[in-house]
Amino acid sequence: MLTLLGKVCDMISARGVHKSFGSATVLDGIDLDVSVGEVVSILGSSGSGKSTLIRCMNGLERLDGGRITIDDFDVSNPKQLAEARKRSATVFQLFNLYPHMTAVENITLAPIQVLKIPRAQAEAEARALLDSVGLGARSDAYPAQLSGGQRQRVGICRALAMKPRYLLLDEITSALDPEMTAEVLNILAQLARTGTTMVFVTHEVEFARTISSRIVFLDKGRLVVDLPTNDFFASGGGMANPRIAQFLAKMRKD
Amino acid sequence: MKFDLTILAPHVPFLLKGALLTAEACALALVGSLIIGLLVAALRTSSSPILSRAAFIYVDLFRNIPFIVQLFFFFYGLPEIGIYIDAFTTGVIALSIAGGAFSSDVIRSGILAIDTGILEAAEVSGLSKPVIFRKIVMPIALRTSVRPLGSVFINLVLTSSILSTITLNELTGSAKIVASDTFRPFEVYAVLLIVYASLTYLISLAIGSLHRRLNRDRMPDVA
Amino acid sequence: MMRYTSFTSYDFILLAQGLGVSLALFAVTTLIGLLIGTTWAIVRFYRVPVLTPLITFFAELLKNSPVLVQLFLVFFGLPALAKINVTPVEAAVITLSGNTAAFIYVIAVSAIESIGRDQIESARVFGLTRWQVLRHVVAPQAMAFAVGPLTGLLVNQLQVTSLISVIGVVDLTKIGNILNLRTLKPFIVWTIVGGLYYVTAKLIALGGARLEKRLRAHTAWKGL
Repeated sequence: MLTLLGKVCDMISARGVHKSFGSATVLDGIDLDVSVGEVVSILGSSGSGKSTLIRCMNGLERLDGGRITIDDFDVSNPKQLAEARKRSATVFQLFNLYPHMTAVENITLAPIQVLKIPRAQAEAEARALLDSVGLGARSDAYPAQLSGGQRQRVGICRALAMKPRYLLLDEITSALDPEMTAEVLNILAQLARTGTTMVFVTHEVEFARTISSRIVFLDKGRLVVDLPTNDFFASGGGMANPRIAQFLAKMRKD
Repeated sequence: MKFDLTILAPHVPFLLKGALLTAEACALALVGSLIIGLLVAALRTSSSPILSRAAFIYVDLFRNIPFIVQLFFFFYGLPEIGIYIDAFTTGVIALSIAGGAFSSDVIRSGILAIDTGILEAAEVSGLSKPVIFRKIVMPIALRTSVRPLGSVFINLVLTSSILSTITLNELTGSAKIVASDTFRPFEVYAVLLIVYASLTYLISLAIGSLHRRLNRDRMPDVA
Repeated sequence: MMRYTSFTSYDFILLAQGLGVSLALFAVTTLIGLLIGTTWAIVRFYRVPVLTPLITFFAELLKNSPVLVQLFLVFFGLPALAKINVTPVEAAVITLSGNTAAFIYVIAVSAIESIGRDQIESARVFGLTRWQVLRHVVAPQAMAFAVGPLTGLLVNQLQVTSLISVIGVVDLTKIGNILNLRTLKPFIVWTIVGGLYYVTAKLIALGGARLEKRLRAHTAWKGL
């Protein structure tokens, strides 16, 4: 979309986002921009609101205040939400694969139905994606026949098949054991190298450090810091904040 | 009087014709009640309170009124409003409507059991509601409901015997004719009872294997 | 005489009578069915040889065949075989009781099985006889478990009583037939008849739900 000032809209933009469940405030005035080409990791302890923020970005939760736009499409506007969703794709913590479809069918469903890509082309692309994550031989397996790490790799392929401008990753390794986590993180590192824009909600601090351009720290629904990765880990930067120091210390111990 | 089955032998072809009619009626009613069941289950789980209320009333009514009363309502009532259809069609329609009420309950619980995460994944990928229902909700709900739907179908087969009361000579209707022709009602109805019981037993076996086939992908393979 | 007449106030009495017959037969056959069904379940609990598999087979046969055919077998078949006279009401009582018994048996068996075998065995270890275990350990728990499925069954069995109209018992459905032929107003007649069945079914369901709540409250209170 073009504005008078030219292209200023290549970003996910959150302004003053509020969200509460009942009397509990989960997000309390979040401002965050993610531009195309960035990898932004969102850290924070459980209950800090980081997953909810992702769920607000893809329209799974209704905002109670503020505004989120993806390339200028407002996710709170039902008509613009469809357009916003075409530009982003989500990978979930619990994979959420369609249990009655093979890996390829999982991946091709939305490209065929939403993007109207011909079936043959969609399937070829799906197989190529599966190949690239080392699952070429398991293309026709059902989710129940795959390990957790394999399922999540299919989940990533399913998101990538939509050719999203932004990849939203919601604690995608939290349900995996260390070995499987490594499988999945390797793929993310690959994606980061190829310039895929990612919003990465995670507990994997060390990994976030290696792939992120920026790190955002949430605490009790508020955005505490938003710093370039190096500054975040510098002793005078994010570490100066006691909540962050405490969080990082705890993460390293676990 | 002695229990003698040989007297039935000459009537077997006639009874088979009746059995065929039963099979046809049940097959059509199975399709009908599945279509109605899916539609009504979709309405009941929809976000519109009016639609879901209307669907509930339909299910509640047809589950709590005897089938024979429903059947008479259609059989005697439809000609009143100028709709003249034969007994077979009336029977299939009545069976489909009653079966639809029971199927919709089964399918509805199948739908409610679907992991919401799966539906969220479909939603954020931009799939429209009808596509989500057709491609994801329906196949998952139907697969998990094979066994309870099988019970509904078995009940449908047993209930189809009531179609004999609206002059339809399906299996029970033909047996009635044979019983009065031969004056051997005990043999005829005893055999009929066994035939129905064996039929439903075979159906339950078929349902079991269908369930295993459809849910194959739930089992880890060795490859 | 007129070929058909419209409704009269006397028709209300007819409908009430029909409903009365349906309810009476429903009540009687439910009681007999309960008695027979639980007896069968107790026979199974004692693992009586020969009788147990026989009962299971018979119950399966009754559950998996149309009630209408069972009704014909008793009403037309039994007199022909045994040279005895069976009235429509007798045939109705025999058939409905047997059918109800088969379903009660299944419910009772699963209710008993819902109580852990370890519970029964530990009671036996304490020296209780099998009968004492049944009375004091199994029965109270099984009863609370069974009320829910039982309510569902009774709602269903009320509807099944409508089939006895086919062999000439003047129940609610038969009254519907009579009024249908006389008035030639099928929509009105069958809507009223259906409505009466519906309300009765709802009352049974309501009663069952109340009883279940009470039984559960009772066991919960005793557990404290």
